[in-house]
Amino acid sequence: MKKVKLIRTFQEGLDNFRRNGWLSFATVSVLAISLYIISVTAILGVTANIVLQNIQDKINVSVYFNPDVEENAILEIKNKLVGYQEIKSIEYVSKDQALEQFKKLGDNNPSISQALEELGDNPLLASLVIKANSPDQYDIITKSISGSTFSDSVSRIDFEENRMAIGRLTSIINLVEKIGLTLGIVFVFIGILITFNAIRLTMYAHKQEFEIMRLVGASNLYIRMPFIFEGIFYGISSAIIVMIALLATSKFLAPITEGSISGGDIFSFCLSHFFIIFFSLLLSGVLLGTISGFIAIRRYLKI
Amino acid sequence: MIRFENVSKIYPGDFSALEDINISIEQGEFVSIVGHSGSGKSTLLKLVYAEEQPTTGTVYFNDRPLDAIKIKHLPFYRRNIGTVFQDFKLLPQKTAYENVAYALEVSEGSLEEIQELVPEILDLVGMGDKMEKYPRQLSGGEQQKVCLARAFVRKPLIIIADEPTGNLDPNSTMEIMQLLLKINSMGTTVLLASHNKSIVDKINRRVIELEKGRIIRDNAKGKYAV
Repeated sequence: MKKVKLIRTFQEGLDNFRRNGWLSFATVSVLAISLYIISVTAILGVTANIVLQNIQDKINVSVYFNPDVEENAILEIKNKLVGYQEIKSIEYVSKDQALEQFKKLGDNNPSISQALEELGDNPLLASLVIKANSPDQYDIITKSISGSTFSDSVSRIDFEENRMAIGRLTSIINLVEKIGLTLGIVFVFIGILITFNAIRLTMYAHKQEFEIMRLVGASNLYIRMPFIFEGIFYGISSAIIVMIALLATSKFLAPITEGSISGGDIFSFCLSHFFIIFFSLLLSGVLLGTISGFIAIRRYLKI
Repeated sequence: MIRFENVSKIYPGDFSALEDINISIEQGEFVSIVGHSGSGKSTLLKLVYAEEQPTTGTVYFNDRPLDAIKIKHLPFYRRNIGTVFQDFKLLPQKTAYENVAYALEVSEGSLEEIQELVPEILDLVGMGDKMEKYPRQLSGGEQQKVCLARAFVRKPLIIIADEPTGNLDPNSTMEIMQLLLKINSMGTTVLLASHNKSIVDKINRRVIELEKGRIIRDNAKGKYAV
């Protein structure tokens, strides 16, 4: 396509967009609503994932060793365990470190520190804190530790106490993921459908103009280009609107989500991912706008 | 210039709009096509600007059969033809100037050409002082003048006018007819479909009368009715 045609059809698209004020407003609104639904779904999905990830990260089992087991022996066991593919990380907590952590808990509770002073000696056990790659692997890990050669050195494993909680959490996580995915697909589908119909109506409003343009001798491409540009303008405008709406929404929701996402709340999440979110909005808005336009206009260009 | 050879047009549902049409129109002629509503006038014109294809027979434009033109080349063919309609068909979001300029833009006229030709042609039809008005701000007669300007701005070989005065008052009707005659006097063929008896009688040019899709009369200097 020649440059002069490109410039003219661009100008044409811009003029259409400006002069059909009401129609453009309606189309942009619908497109913005669809994009908003889609992006809220996506952001909720991503946040839910992060939250779940955080919760999963907090799950662990501690293997406590008898007081007479040497530190070297424990570290040796640790090195053996590192090779397990189910295990994500192992941390050695010595008796002294355990005491430190316990004292920290006691900062707000004077009776704990008092009790420790009474005892005089450090009553706590050294332990290995194990994190699995996924919550359902804790069962296997604890079983294999109980059945291992060093099981005599192990005082106790705290998995049994957490078993119920971990099990329930696992099923909740699976459920949330399933529901989220289904809802996401449904909303994306609804969004695309609404946009396509809105643009089809917009094209219908231009129906007579297509006929006129053909009679005046415009080629199909020349007729189509302005509407493609119009679709791009729809996409850009709605992306900007939705970005603002998203920031406002996340600002509003920020207090609820405080602390559940690493690095703050959902608002700071949106801010720190501003460009990727805005770019995705632009891309999907422009794609939705132009592809719907392209399909909708086709039926009016048959000669 | 335009030749119909045994042309028939049957619309879906077995409605026969034209039957066995044989006519020949030369460059520079002014031809009025008359007949009742539904007699096939519009269909005959549509075959010329290739909006419809004949069911049987062939339409030739400068000895070239129209059915040989590929669909994607139709826009180029249409640039030889200016069209004017009863319902004007102006683009509502464009000013008079832009409507006329559009015809040049689609055929890749240069900016200088557009800036020179459009005001000139709008002056010619007497709309020079209303170039920046939108169609809704113009009267029917004024809109039709803009249409004529748009049809003529590319200096087409032929102008097809389908009931151009159907919606106009007698004054505007006379103005439009005079413009058509003026355009014709510059060498452009004019093909006019009309059932306005007085104007057809007044111009005293070739008249083709259609009845139920057949030519029943073709007079070199005819009246609306015999």
